[in-house]
Amino acid sequence: MAEINPKFHELDEEMASRDLDHSPVELLEKIKQEGRVWDDLSEEYGVDNPDPPWRITLEATCDMLADGYWETFNICKPKEERNPEEESKKLDAVERRWEEDQLVNQHYAEVPFPERQLLALAHTLIRRGLINEDELARHMEEVDQRLNSA
Amino acid sequence: MAEKHKPAPMVDEVSEFEVLEIAVRELAIEKGLFTAEDHQHWTEYMHTLGPLPAARLVAKAWLDPEYKKLAVKDGVKASLEVGIDWVNSMPTKFGTPSDYCNLRVLEDTPKLKHVVVCTLCSCYPRPILGQSPEWYRTPNYRRRLVRWPRQVLAEFGLQLPEDVEVRVEDSNQKSRFIVLPVRPEGTEGWTEDQLAEIVTRDCLIGVAVPKPGKTANDPRPVRPAVNPYHHH
Repeated sequence: MAEINPKFHELDEEMASRDLDHSPVELLEKIKQEGRVWDDLSEEYGVDNPDPPWRITLEATCDMLADGYWETFNICKPKEERNPEEESKKLDAVERRWEEDQLVNQHYAEVPFPERQLLALAHTLIRRGLINEDELARHMEEVDQRLNSA
Repeated sequence: MAEKHKPAPMVDEVSEFEVLEIAVRELAIEKGLFTAEDHQHWTEYMHTLGPLPAARLVAKAWLDPEYKKLAVKDGVKASLEVGIDWVNSMPTKFGTPSDYCNLRVLEDTPKLKHVVVCTLCSCYPRPILGQSPEWYRTPNYRRRLVRWPRQVLAEFGLQLPEDVEVRVEDSNQKSRFIVLPVRPEGTEGWTEDQLAEIVTRDCLIGVAVPKPGKTANDPRPVRPAVNPYHHH
């Protein structure tokens, strides 16, 4: 019988030892409450595509954050082969997936996919200090104005 | 006279999630976490991916015993014949480390059924199968499949006789997998195109088997992790 990958147990222990901040992020809570998800929008507008148009760009962002352009699939790289300086600017894909599972369970369980993946990614980036909640809020306002300026 | 076409429906409003996706991406670029050009190249490549090449690989293998042998022996080489170059079709033009370039094709028999999972995260053979479905990513599927494979397959609607062995393959840093299912009865004389149509994504993951007339995946309920795995 197959077993759960032993690396998962190692990952679980490693991540648990980091004492991550489990508190909700106000900005993301607001989006969770007020944002309209693709399931509703596609039904209202009669669109067949099961995924929002941004799903692939979100996937690409996750890949880009993981390990650079040419190693996006090398998500299980041994720690001894990693460059700590570069690592600080990256978001390991396995760790991101672990955090996504946890964050979805804690905060975003009622949000459909891929919106929950997006919220979890933003949450992880804020929690790790890779982006800041206030600057994200400001940048969202700019993007919103831009998209609605037509 | 030209027919009048109704414009395709489109969503005519900007959602906060759409704004969030753009804002996160642009901030990451602004902070130098990656470049806009790399992101664009990668996105364009990802848009080309889907399950059709894998379906065609299976259809070809059903029709050509020699190709089937090649597929089982060397999945990467066999992929070339369905237009997937695991090394050179990447935007980098030099592939990625060996972990990513090792596709294994798991051949089912009437007494052996394979099914694929990634218990660590959600590794998936994207170059030949596209994006993974939501349920494949869930802890519920990833944890329970290895413990109760026969029961989980039954939940997917795949009831297997007791004398059929179920083999779970766990994707890892070394390999990606697709399933080569048994060709179903009632497909004698079919062309490659006809056969490829019934090899759905779920058949290639192994949670379904091909059937004449069935060309789409069933909707799958996504279950929460009722018994979340915690460190011990």
